[in-house]
Amino acid sequence: MDAQRLLARRSFTELHARARAQALLDPGSFRELIDPFERLASPWLPRQGIVTQADDGLVVARGLLDGNPAVVLAIEGAFQGGSMGEVSAAKIAGSLELAAEDNRQGIPTRAAIVFETGGVRLQEANLGLAGIAEIQAAIVDLRRYQPVAGIVAGPVGCYGGMSIAAGLCSYLLVTREARLGLNGPAVIEQEAGIAEFDSRDRATIWGLSGGEQRYRSGLADRYVEDDAAQIRQALLVCMRAGRPGRCRSERHDAFLPPLSQADGARPAEPAEVIAAFGEELRA
Amino acid sequence: MTAPSAATARWTTRRTEKQRRLAAVSGLAHGNQLPAARLTEALERLISPGDRVVLEGNNQKQADFLSRALAQADPARLHDLHMIIPSVSRAEHLDLFERGIARKLDFAFAGTQSLRISQCLEDGLLEIGAIHTYIELYARLYVDLSPNVVLVAAYSADREGNLYTGPSTEDTPALVEAAAFRDGIVIAQVNEIVDQLPRVDIPGSWVDFVVPADKPFFIEPLFTRDPRLITPIQILMAMMAIRGVYERHQVQSLNHGIGFNTAAIELILPTYGERLGLKGKICRHWALNPHPTLIPAIESGWVDSVHCFGGELGMEAYVAARPDVFFTGRDGSLRSNRLLSQLAGQYAVDLFIGSTLQMDGLGNSSTVTRGRLTGFGGAPNMGHDPHGRRHATPAWLDLIQGDDPLQRGRKLVVQVVETFQAGGKPSVVESLDAVAVGREAGMPLAPVMIYGDDVTHVLTEEGIAYLYRAESVEQRKAMIAAVSGVTPIGLQRDPKALAQFRRDGLVALPEDLGIHPGEADRSLLAAKNMAELVAWSDGLYQPPARYRSW
Repeated sequence: MDAQRLLARRSFTELHARARAQALLDPGSFRELIDPFERLASPWLPRQGIVTQADDGLVVARGLLDGNPAVVLAIEGAFQGGSMGEVSAAKIAGSLELAAEDNRQGIPTRAAIVFETGGVRLQEANLGLAGIAEIQAAIVDLRRYQPVAGIVAGPVGCYGGMSIAAGLCSYLLVTREARLGLNGPAVIEQEAGIAEFDSRDRATIWGLSGGEQRYRSGLADRYVEDDAAQIRQALLVCMRAGRPGRCRSERHDAFLPPLSQADGARPAEPAEVIAAFGEELRA
Repeated sequence: MTAPSAATARWTTRRTEKQRRLAAVSGLAHGNQLPAARLTEALERLISPGDRVVLEGNNQKQADFLSRALAQADPARLHDLHMIIPSVSRAEHLDLFERGIARKLDFAFAGTQSLRISQCLEDGLLEIGAIHTYIELYARLYVDLSPNVVLVAAYSADREGNLYTGPSTEDTPALVEAAAFRDGIVIAQVNEIVDQLPRVDIPGSWVDFVVPADKPFFIEPLFTRDPRLITPIQILMAMMAIRGVYERHQVQSLNHGIGFNTAAIELILPTYGERLGLKGKICRHWALNPHPTLIPAIESGWVDSVHCFGGELGMEAYVAARPDVFFTGRDGSLRSNRLLSQLAGQYAVDLFIGSTLQMDGLGNSSTVTRGRLTGFGGAPNMGHDPHGRRHATPAWLDLIQGDDPLQRGRKLVVQVVETFQAGGKPSVVESLDAVAVGREAGMPLAPVMIYGDDVTHVLTEEGIAYLYRAESVEQRKAMIAAVSGVTPIGLQRDPKALAQFRRDGLVALPEDLGIHPGEADRSLLAAKNMAELVAWSDGLYQPPARYRSW
């Protein structure tokens, strides 16, 4: 790659949630709802001695995608690991529900979610889990009308209940730095032992749950460079394609046979996983 | 040949002793090769109690097979060794003392082992000869620390004992020569023995034995800094360094210390430096390890040459592909050399810039903190004004003060310090921890890294103090206080004095340099993460796994 292009490139992973939402929406169309000045912070964190953030780490942005009404929900990975608390989860779920309602009123609002999250916020436990369930239900509702696109860019990745939410999206876009998995590396090591998974072995982590792996094994639909303009373009392409014939979660029967044939007695090798699932599972 | 006469023997005691020891392993060795499985036994025969033994622990490369074997020696056979270890980096370096094999230690640097050295010293297990800078320690090998045995590491050897040390040559030539030419014994561990070496870095006639190691020598990627961790404050300070020091004094040749501050400077040369039109005018020649963060500056044509102290894991292929810039052999791979690069950094560069953890009100600095004896490494060699310098460069001449016809120029020594460390600890303090550490450890001197009177510029996030222009110690202190923020030293400043310093050009705040702190943004970094460094290198840089997030 030549120097000028490298200098001109705008890294998406480098951006915070608000700038990510701005980079995705049509220029000039960004308008934030429940912005930090409304001070809708977590009521639970202060009781545990944790400093809150005025937007609870979640940016709700209205705007346009290709001139069509859209909402972008961007999780801020730098705040509490992007974890889902009562407020942040409700901001996502509520926005998606309103977007679905828009569609029932004839307004074709579509949604994109920037996943940068370790999953539920442990300090808010059941309230966060309930919120994630609402997010999942809202994705399934909205995707009947318009595409719901998920983007996992990194560096946090997408884990826990939110990885299920990502799996429910109409389209999932990943970068090379993305990671997508139900359990994080440290949890797998703790539960299954270091012989099964060494959480400090970065090659293994990305080999099994990294963006390229997830794309090549059919769990993500677009593999994009870490470049804000290219990610927006890929998102627009998905939105233009409209609702896929069958979303990934509606094709679960195709994913089950390789799983049932896997040899659970030894740790999986990245290449085996790709061979077992394969690219034909992509949307 | 007749037996040496008594008159000759009087002058060949070292040679005779060496022959005796070599004969003692004749049953063990196959020619010049020692068997790996019986290495400890061989060392017990080749080394004698009380010997001075150089063990190659370098900043990066470690002769760890040899050090592990030596640490297993029987203390009844080997004891009271005087170890000379440039960089004490391995646990077994100190096992030698705990097991009673060694007694005295001369060294230059101790990174990860700094805590344990302090403990061993406290427990009376070791006695320290002195803590040196690197070239000072090598130099003493040729004066009063002449070694009996030298233990080093190489990538490969051929059947004649020639060694290939390649990108990780580091200290090896300086250590080997001290024994090879004064009847000492040189033993090299090698990763492999081959028929044909890529090139010869150490001639076989300097080496007595080679031993194939059980695993490749240990080496750490010490100079890799992930750009993702560079903060906007560090970028602001990097802009100030470029504007207020490099551009102002036309700095052409330099050394960068290790750390995120200097990594930030390297990464904004292609963006901020370019915008100022400084390419080709500053930062052309470097004495520097192959820092991955220098890749964008090299690729965009800023850098004429880089001479390296050591190698850096993952940079081998990139360096080999840029022979116009780096010093490479006929085979194409890097040749590092710490002795020569330290000399280059001492005598031939315009500027040294390094960050420190602690600085006092006079500009003395130290990285020593309580309970840790880290030593000096190479920073003091570069972080001072060598009075033996006689060649002039624009930057060197620019520091002349006054109009005495006998005035000489001055090396720029820049201390970069953020006024507070993580955890709210002030970095600018009344008294360095080093003073108490030196006293508690019974050292003859407080372990000061860079002396205040050698420092020409102090750069904090508040501003730059041009200390070389201070006319008195009092003024010097006031200038440092002026850029020390709300630290105890900074709070002593007089606001009126600051205004006067700014008018007189003794202190510059960012706005005096035309820098708006709001501009100090990570978007200025030519590479913002490891993946972008790889992209700049055309895929030639291969970061170690722990730095990869893909």
